[in-house]
Amino acid sequence: MIQIRDLKKRFRNNVVLDGIDLDINEGDVVGIIGPSGTGKSTLLRCIDLLEIPDGGSISIDGEKTELSRHSRSQTLSLRRNTGMVFQRFNLFERKTALENVMEGLVTVRKMKKAEARMCAEAELKRVGMLDWSGHYPKHLSGGQQQRVAIARALAMKPKLLLLDEPTSALDPELVGEVLETIKDIASQGFTMMLVSHEMNFVRNVANRVIFLDGGKIVEDGTPREVFDTPKSQRAKDFFAKMHLLRQPEYTI
Amino acid sequence: MQLLAEETNLFDFGLVGRQLPELLKYLPTTLELAALSMLIGLVLGLLLAIIRIKKIPVLRQIAAFYISIIRGTPAIVQLYIAYFGIPMFLKYMNLHYGTSFDISAFPGFACAVFAMGLNESAYNAETIRAALSSVDRGQIEAACAVGMTYPQALRRIILPEAMTVALPGLGNSFIGLIKGTSLAFTCAVVEMTAQGKILGGRNYRYFEVYVSLAIIYWAVTIIVERILKLIEKRLELPEQIDKKKDSVPETGSEVEEREAAVQYDTNTRPEKALSQ
Repeated sequence: MIQIRDLKKRFRNNVVLDGIDLDINEGDVVGIIGPSGTGKSTLLRCIDLLEIPDGGSISIDGEKTELSRHSRSQTLSLRRNTGMVFQRFNLFERKTALENVMEGLVTVRKMKKAEARMCAEAELKRVGMLDWSGHYPKHLSGGQQQRVAIARALAMKPKLLLLDEPTSALDPELVGEVLETIKDIASQGFTMMLVSHEMNFVRNVANRVIFLDGGKIVEDGTPREVFDTPKSQRAKDFFAKMHLLRQPEYTI
Repeated sequence: MQLLAEETNLFDFGLVGRQLPELLKYLPTTLELAALSMLIGLVLGLLLAIIRIKKIPVLRQIAAFYISIIRGTPAIVQLYIAYFGIPMFLKYMNLHYGTSFDISAFPGFACAVFAMGLNESAYNAETIRAALSSVDRGQIEAACAVGMTYPQALRRIILPEAMTVALPGLGNSFIGLIKGTSLAFTCAVVEMTAQGKILGGRNYRYFEVYVSLAIIYWAVTIIVERILKLIEKRLELPEQIDKKKDSVPETGSEVEEREAAVQYDTNTRPEKALSQ
């Protein structure tokens, strides 16, 4: 059970998150959608403390952290309970795929090398990248890099996996393999928060969808509720524009 | 007659070669000076760079001030200050805190290493700082997200990455330092150049001895350059890696094709070649 309370973040005068309250059950896959600049990514980054919020708290399995004033050990423990998958993969460039996944296990969880290796290989296998374990990131395609990044995050056995637009930096051709991987792990019971612009994907993979606008949660429900019968005008407009895009450019 | 012949001999080629062994005896001193100073320079330089990059209050101002002073004064002045200053400092300690440092026995070598190490650190700090800030923020964020502390991220991710960037610059300053050790005579250290002056003083063949010195310094520099190149090569990531052999379907067919080509060349005319 993850509880986020009154999460606030502003950049100068720009209020990005305006008091977000969110309860996430174990095994939930929460899709976060909304127009650009509404704080979707910031929400994830605040949870992982890559961005320091102005206020709010998060508790993971009863372990509560005040996000704006936290001790160093709280930061570490929060980060160790969460995993992050970045838009731009952010793999360690001087390490092979296998070493990328092993890194956290060895340095943070203090596993023995051999044990970490087994663990990392299992994770790479899960994302279908075991054959590439000796490759450096620069030898991998974007999709492959992102799959390794997912394996790296999963290896830490996070209680909450945060995916920040995991397919936005990929060629359209490569989006599929990453989405397939995410779908796969979603079905394995990982608790996830997924920011994505792939509406169809969110609809398929998430069991709960949140629509953010102006730093507030505007819609919150099952994919069916949010996509098919949105309550707010803002969400309706948003989906209307989306549908417009999908229509042919002209008809005769 | 002999004397006259030697005096008219404007440049004694033979002497340049004959003096080399005498000078080379002091090459270890030169290299020790350079290596120890570099070590101090690297450790202190890294510390200063981290202070500046992490913007640690107070320490940051001190670091900036320190770098400014060191870079703003000539190395030879720093050496003199160390040579005269350190014994004075020890004397002060003896007088006020009752310690019993033997001032007369304090080696000039240590003064020289101290001064050159500090000098080196200021320059290295800037090189290392530039290298550290060249590391992609995303990787640092990823390291944080995995739950690493900053020192862990620094050691495991940031430094290895920054090393490759800093290496040419640091190598450059190390080469400079090797030649800079020729100033150590100011601290009464007899290294190669000092020995050269002593030799020159014996027969007034200063020109020859400096040519000998030039040859040695140049040779050492070439060797160091080679070593640096090797290290750079080592740090490079491989250009291409083969996938695990047993799990690659494509390479199988490639091998077959290659075999087919070879067989075709040797005129055994296999079916494969024919069918193509």
